[in-house]
Amino acid sequence: MARTKGSGKSTAPKKPWKKILYGSREYPDNYTDSSFLQELRTNVHVHTVSFREAILGAGRVTNAICIVVLFSIVFVYLYNQLVDANTVFVYSCAGSILGYLWYRSQSDFQNGYWTCFYRDARMVAIFLSVGFASSPILKTLTETISTDTIYAMTVFMMLLHLCFKDYGVSPALVSSSLSFNAAIFGSICLASRLASSFHAFVLLSLSVEAFVLLPLLMVEAGRSLCILILVISVTIGALWSLSPPMTVFFVLLICFVNLICPIWFLKWQIHKENIYGPWDEAVVEDADNIVS
Amino acid sequence: MRHTVCLVSDFFYPNVGGVEEHIFNLSQCLMRRGHKVIVMTHSYNDRVGVRYMTNGLKVYYLPVRVFYNQCVLPTMICSLPLIRNIFIRECISIVHGHSAFSALAHEAMLIGHLMHLKCVFTDHSLFGFADTSAVITNRFLQISLFSCNHCICVSHTGKENTVLRARVESNRVSVIPNAVDTKAFTPDPTHRSDDYVTIVTVGRLVYRKGVDLMAQIIKELSPKHPKVKFIVCGDGPKRWLIDEVRERCGLQDRVELLGALEHSQVRNVLIRGHIFLNTSLTEAYCMAIVEAASCGLQVVSTRVGGIPEVLPPELIYLTEPDVPSLMDGLEKAMLDLKEGRAMPPYECHRKVSSLYNWHDVTQRTEVVYNIVARDKSKALGSLLQCYITAGVLPFMLVVALCHLLLRALEWLVPSKNIDVAKNFDKQKQHAL
Repeated sequence: MARTKGSGKSTAPKKPWKKILYGSREYPDNYTDSSFLQELRTNVHVHTVSFREAILGAGRVTNAICIVVLFSIVFVYLYNQLVDANTVFVYSCAGSILGYLWYRSQSDFQNGYWTCFYRDARMVAIFLSVGFASSPILKTLTETISTDTIYAMTVFMMLLHLCFKDYGVSPALVSSSLSFNAAIFGSICLASRLASSFHAFVLLSLSVEAFVLLPLLMVEAGRSLCILILVISVTIGALWSLSPPMTVFFVLLICFVNLICPIWFLKWQIHKENIYGPWDEAVVEDADNIVS
Repeated sequence: MRHTVCLVSDFFYPNVGGVEEHIFNLSQCLMRRGHKVIVMTHSYNDRVGVRYMTNGLKVYYLPVRVFYNQCVLPTMICSLPLIRNIFIRECISIVHGHSAFSALAHEAMLIGHLMHLKCVFTDHSLFGFADTSAVITNRFLQISLFSCNHCICVSHTGKENTVLRARVESNRVSVIPNAVDTKAFTPDPTHRSDDYVTIVTVGRLVYRKGVDLMAQIIKELSPKHPKVKFIVCGDGPKRWLIDEVRERCGLQDRVELLGALEHSQVRNVLIRGHIFLNTSLTEAYCMAIVEAASCGLQVVSTRVGGIPEVLPPELIYLTEPDVPSLMDGLEKAMLDLKEGRAMPPYECHRKVSSLYNWHDVTQRTEVVYNIVARDKSKALGSLLQCYITAGVLPFMLVVALCHLLLRALEWLVPSKNIDVAKNFDKQKQHAL
């Protein structure tokens, strides 16, 4: 068992070090060769985000915030009877129909135009009649709860809605169903403060339009900077008519979300350093269709 | 220099695996070379307290419950009095932790460091850097290795990995491979079938061992080569996949599923095979291929982790970790076997036993022990300084609390009042 230990004391010229475990016993065990970490690779699959992409990505969050704010503004108008419930209903229906037509014009029809239209129309009819029939119940559901609690709950639910909404990336904190249910629950809370059950019905159908149907359109519109600016300016205008101080807060919030956060992101993405090397776990391709 | 070593790990007999094997063989060889060795692990069901194993190896099964994946809950302070007591009773000078996954090893190394003992850590596994869990575990390893004097890795790739993960200086990391008890893995070609080529795989059936690749190989190779049989040895959460492929392709007579086997039974399976297939997706060392080569099998393996370093090219067919490449490797091995170009089993065995044995591993580990014995122990202040540089400030509180607890215990139960355990006397045992 003759083996040189410690730093090499042998006089014969050493063989070059090899990355093998069987042999090359001339070197001490803690010897580090110059080839150490040669197979290290960094940032193999990194995608550098441009400023435009960062702004548009943050724009999805801004869009969601704007929708929540616009919905709240409509509620305030209805609550203070500044606008007639009929008007809101008619305008929202008209908007939905226009949006629907635009949305359907983008999609292809596998089962023919009329089948598709018929299915959608039936869905709307069912939803409207059920909604209209149950709006008295929904209105009285949370009526006994004090107004402060209702507002606090709504704020909490809307925050939950914003936190868990699907913004196109997949971290752990995404749950579309939770997000949607939180928004609907928040609107049911608000509906109980309105004057009549028709008001409640209008608000609830508006909430479905705002939190279910509008995001479908916004996915299509998410790639354009113009629509983002349009949405923001409409929200600012509507909010200004209610409360100028709130508008200032809102503008600051939008600046933070849509300007400062993307700039931070761009500034810090140069520090990204993903390490790859021979120790990485190999990836098995089409592991899912072995048994088929 | 004679050392008193405490080998600590969550993984030990009755558990089976590479780490367990390593600890047991290392302790046996260290004892034979005159060192005092004890092993510390957590309790396994009713296996609690002190047990003596082969040649008087003393094993402390601490009465700590398993928390997750055979590991104890790393409370850092709960088992501190117990661990301190054992270190004092056994006059330990070197604490040697095994496996990055073992919470008990990290805990014992920290306590050992605070008691001014020398700490050595052996890392048996590789870890990526890509996901959140890896980021967190790597940081834990980093803060744990501050209290460690020297690290041992089982392959050069493992060393690169550990140096990157835990940011230890590369000269504080030694590469000492695992070994295999080649006397227990001797070839016996008489058990091989003459009509069929038998392909053997041994290992837990989990994702990391490449069960998906194995299933695809079985599915695609069987119709192409009707003279091939498979023996799959091992159990695990992905066993259903092999079962399913066997059922669907009607290969009940050609794929033998043996389930989990005792380590002593593995040789009896290996000698029935001609070719050993290893489909691991990541592996620091891979003892299974060395055992197979020692039994005289041709080894076909994926080129991942430390595997290319383990066997010389004439003993192994290295392939990429995908199905076409593995198929090529297997077909090449079968062709070599058919045309008599494969290395004869006994020559294979001779070669492997000249490359790896536990005595060599033990001697090299001893060198590490001699190095750390000369090390000066780090003062508490400089240890805490390290945590500041790593940016893990809350952990300083844990370390400080451990230190205070040790001080309090020294006052409550002074070490001079703790009886020193008598050493196991081999002669006396024989006299009995």
